[in-house]
Amino acid sequence: MKMGLLTDPSVGHGALTSIFVRHHNRFCIVMCIASVALFCMLAHYSLSSQTYFSENALLPGLVKGQLNDNTGSSFRDHYRELNAEAEHFETETPHSYLISKFKNLRLETYSHNFTLNYPLKKNTKYTGRNVYGILRAPRSASIESIVLSVPYRAPSSVFPSTLPGLAVMFQIAQFFRHQIYWAKDIIFLVTEHEQLGMQAWLEAYHGTSCGSPGVLDSGKLSGRAGAIQAAINLEIHSEKIDHIDVKLSGLNGQLPNLDLVNLAHRLCNKESVKHTFNNVDGGAIGRNKVNSYYTNLSTMLSMVMTQATGVPDGNHGLFHRFGIEAITLEGHEKEGRGIYSSVLQVGRVIEGMFRSLNNLLERFHQSFFFYLLPSTDRYVSIGLYMPCLVLLVGALFLKAFSTWIQHSSEQKQGDSSAKATIPEHLNVGMVSVITLGSHVVGLLLLPNLAPAYFTHFWNYMPTHRALLLGYGLLSITIVCILPIILKKCLNSFISSNWVLLHVICLLELGIGLLCVSMHNFSLGYLTALVYVPPALCTKSSQTSIIIKFFWLLVHPMCSLFWITAYITYTAYPELPIIDYLTKVLEASGQWMVLSTVDNMIYGNWAFTVGVLLLLPVWTEFWCLMFLPTIVSKKMKTE
Amino acid sequence: MSSKSLWLLFIFIGSSYSETYSEELFIKPLATGYVYSFFQFTVIREDDSFKHSTLFPHSLGDIIDRFHVAELNVDLTSGLWKHKSWGYPAVDAPSGAEISARFHNDTQDVDKHWYGLTNALSGLLCTSLNFINSANSYESSADRVYRYSNLPRENVCTENLTPWKKLLPCDSTRGLSSLLNSGRVHNANYHSLGIHFRPLCNAGKCKYELRQTVSLVYDSIFISFNNNYDWSLRKMFGTGLFKTCPLADYSKIYLDTSSNSSVPYLISQEPDYVLKNNIAVYNLNGIFHLSAIVPRPKIVVSELRPLLYTDRFITGFGQEYGGLVTRIYNDHKSPIIATVIENIPWFLPIYYHTLKVTSNGIRVIPKALIYKPGKGRVRIYYLEVVLELAPRSVTEISVQFDYVFLKWQEYPPDANHGFYIGSAIVKATIPRNATSLTFDKSLIIDNLNSAGDNYLICLKTENFIITLPTPDFSMPYNVICLACTVVALAFGPIHNITTKKLKLTTAKYVPGLASVAQKLYVLMETIFMLKTKKTGKPASVKVFTPEELSYHPTLGHVSEEFMKNKGS
Repeated sequence: MKMGLLTDPSVGHGALTSIFVRHHNRFCIVMCIASVALFCMLAHYSLSSQTYFSENALLPGLVKGQLNDNTGSSFRDHYRELNAEAEHFETETPHSYLISKFKNLRLETYSHNFTLNYPLKKNTKYTGRNVYGILRAPRSASIESIVLSVPYRAPSSVFPSTLPGLAVMFQIAQFFRHQIYWAKDIIFLVTEHEQLGMQAWLEAYHGTSCGSPGVLDSGKLSGRAGAIQAAINLEIHSEKIDHIDVKLSGLNGQLPNLDLVNLAHRLCNKESVKHTFNNVDGGAIGRNKVNSYYTNLSTMLSMVMTQATGVPDGNHGLFHRFGIEAITLEGHEKEGRGIYSSVLQVGRVIEGMFRSLNNLLERFHQSFFFYLLPSTDRYVSIGLYMPCLVLLVGALFLKAFSTWIQHSSEQKQGDSSAKATIPEHLNVGMVSVITLGSHVVGLLLLPNLAPAYFTHFWNYMPTHRALLLGYGLLSITIVCILPIILKKCLNSFISSNWVLLHVICLLELGIGLLCVSMHNFSLGYLTALVYVPPALCTKSSQTSIIIKFFWLLVHPMCSLFWITAYITYTAYPELPIIDYLTKVLEASGQWMVLSTVDNMIYGNWAFTVGVLLLLPVWTEFWCLMFLPTIVSKKMKTE
Repeated sequence: MSSKSLWLLFIFIGSSYSETYSEELFIKPLATGYVYSFFQFTVIREDDSFKHSTLFPHSLGDIIDRFHVAELNVDLTSGLWKHKSWGYPAVDAPSGAEISARFHNDTQDVDKHWYGLTNALSGLLCTSLNFINSANSYESSADRVYRYSNLPRENVCTENLTPWKKLLPCDSTRGLSSLLNSGRVHNANYHSLGIHFRPLCNAGKCKYELRQTVSLVYDSIFISFNNNYDWSLRKMFGTGLFKTCPLADYSKIYLDTSSNSSVPYLISQEPDYVLKNNIAVYNLNGIFHLSAIVPRPKIVVSELRPLLYTDRFITGFGQEYGGLVTRIYNDHKSPIIATVIENIPWFLPIYYHTLKVTSNGIRVIPKALIYKPGKGRVRIYYLEVVLELAPRSVTEISVQFDYVFLKWQEYPPDANHGFYIGSAIVKATIPRNATSLTFDKSLIIDNLNSAGDNYLICLKTENFIITLPTPDFSMPYNVICLACTVVALAFGPIHNITTKKLKLTTAKYVPGLASVAQKLYVLMETIFMLKTKKTGKPASVKVFTPEELSYHPTLGHVSEEFMKNKGS
């Protein structure tokens, strides 16, 4: 018999196997529910643990903060001067002022030019210029350094001002320059154009290019300070600070070492600055802080949501790729009256962090790189959250396994009577054509191929509409045409069921989700939550119309639409329905443009996952549901 | 100098081989707010045998003699010389330890002498020069008897300064060397100790020169305690000068006042005379102090921009592959010929085909190129490129490499700190007037007076660290700890069980061949005895059956009879 080559005939007869096969649907349901339940339980006190320092060399808070307003210019002087300068340049960065300021602080000062060739429009260029000053550590050979960065925002910027942060940086630079204890160089960096400037600077520092070639011309740096060990990005919006928010989420969901995050929280604690994580955790100070379960859960969920987008929530997120641990400290303005933290307190937090980082003998390697945070002082380790996803993916595998076993056992029973041969039965040729076809379409839609054509083709309309139109039309074509083609043209391939295609779909989805979650758990888990239930409901033949409709709802484009609709609703709840829908459509288009551009500049792969994993798998499932089948008598009796 | 000491000196010179000693200190306040001070202690002798000497350090002379050393340079440096803001130093040394030596041409086994020399010097100077082996040293492409090595990770500390000072004729008690207090020296932004020995031959007649040098750079922020660029001997070295070394022929301090033109400042002492308009010379005799009050300039200068400077860095991220880039900036208006020597350790295997030399972005062909591929754990990758640097250009030499996995014992204890890559060397001949000072003659005073066309400079680039793929050493450590605990706990009982056998000992009824034979023997004997009754009755041997035996706490199973006897 030929079958022995493909499958071991003895498999599928054990007692355990038969239990799994018989009750696989129930098992799958139980696994899905267990996964969600476990995920919600992660935020509970009993499953998360207290954070601690793994790296002993950090010695956080061992010294008293010495930053003060008494020597040299005070914070107010810097801030007043800076404000006056910023008002001169409504939309631009005052480069020459920054350079002379750094020079006056006696730092080695450099500037760095970069150019962006906008990928979706030919001959569109944006230029920018970063300014940075290096404090050379006495006695050291400039082999290691720490970065303190501030994104410069002109008064016309839509984002809240960072000028107070810049003034803090000046004051810190002035204080640090007079200290002799530095063992690592300190780079004070002022970037332009938000993340673009930071990405350009990092690429220039490391002499590489991360996005598509020729998109971001990162220029050359003339001053360097060895291997960067850690980076802190400052976004302080006001002189009166309500709380410091510690932001971690990096590009593609990469996180900084937990030790650095702990360091920030510990020092905020020490300086009595209210500190939060993702603005959710209450910001209480001290050991007596007790959070309710719901606070923890919402903190953790907000982290999952932020991480899943794969877009960094601050300039720190771009450092992670280069093996540099980085976080953003965002100081939110205290509105109204009441107790606030002064800029000096925050300055001392930063001083403490830098002195701790200065103590580091080895680069960060001790603590966790994969974690979820339900609170500022508790963490969930990878060993606890991974089972949630494994349960969902396990359900997919179980479904695939039992489908295959069921099929092969039916086949064996049938063998004696009707001698069907395997190739005919499994339709290997047709299945491979479908699989290959759907992936080729996915490849063509890659963010550095299709969007350029779309924008070129519809060059008279705005980029985001062109992209939306292109991808939307293509999706609609696939959704409508495929069933017709399959029904009309594939009558010769009619078969009782399409087990092979079904199993391939399930396995591909499962493996893809596992791979994604290895890099970005949040993205993997949220995708799994959406795509695993319909995948489990689909059958090898004769899928019901409800399931088909369900699949239509979770088409990647539709999912994008739902997410945008939700976000738009939360942002503008009072809009009339027509305005609302146009707004959602526009926003979806803009989202796609941002995603493509992110991919081509920063190497963000969220869009790629959608196009290379979700879309092909969705198309395969769609084909599976519309492939012609004959209803066997046996099935009918069942 | 008093007449008495002069007389003493005269006796010395007259009685022994001719040796001269001079002490010099060259101070150069830099426009960027730093103060560079360069000490040079020079001994020149005419005799080529170091069996006997009066001023030349005997311990060093022995080493030079024994290992056939013709020329020797040792530099121990902490900090990086920043050419861009400090200009050119008198002696360019990379951070860490650097040693190069040339042996006599007739030396047979050069490597043996080289390792002998490094080991001897490591003992003499308390450095880690003994770690020099074939994997971190190279011989020059042109010279069979030349060896070079650098140890970028070497920390320079007071334990090196003390033996270094012991080599001076006056130790650190008198003269300029009394300014070298270890606390102050090691607080400088940059400090470098050097020993430089070379023959000076002229028309077949050779002299031997030993220069001991110290380069110190102080940041005015740390010494002036105000916002100005003030400095003084006391601020820098913690002490003034009280006594001169009576053994010295020359004892002089030179002060370069060229930065005075941009920022006029006040010097506390009038110089004895002025050389070349801007170098104040002070002859030392007795108590001496020097200080300067320098106002902070209105416009802060952060760079001096010398004619030629370099930049070296690693490109790429991740731990798979990367690139090494050396940039040479030529700000001169005419082309300069430069030689770049890269010594890349064996754990960074470079791809020769990726070697790319560009000048202002345009690919150029080097004038000469020597490449000796490395060999794992044995030999470095040696790359020597001779280039013509176009006027006002940036020349870039880049090469790609792989990060390799090391054997687990080859990682240092702080494996995640990174691995040090030593500096590259850039040698170039620049016009003598392009740099304010040259340091190729024996004495600083000669250098100040020298005139000529060209001057050979030797720039050392920065070191850097790279992160090789590092295993999680804490994991095996935990495993080892756990495993050891388990083994230790299990060892006792298992050892007991395996070595102490639990078995029933003592006499035991064994129905075997022996007992049958014994019975037969007894039987035969009784028969025999019946026949010969006269021989008397022998002592009968009793054989016990197990039922007849009873247990004794220490002896085990014994006969009841025995127990009875014991009891009574």
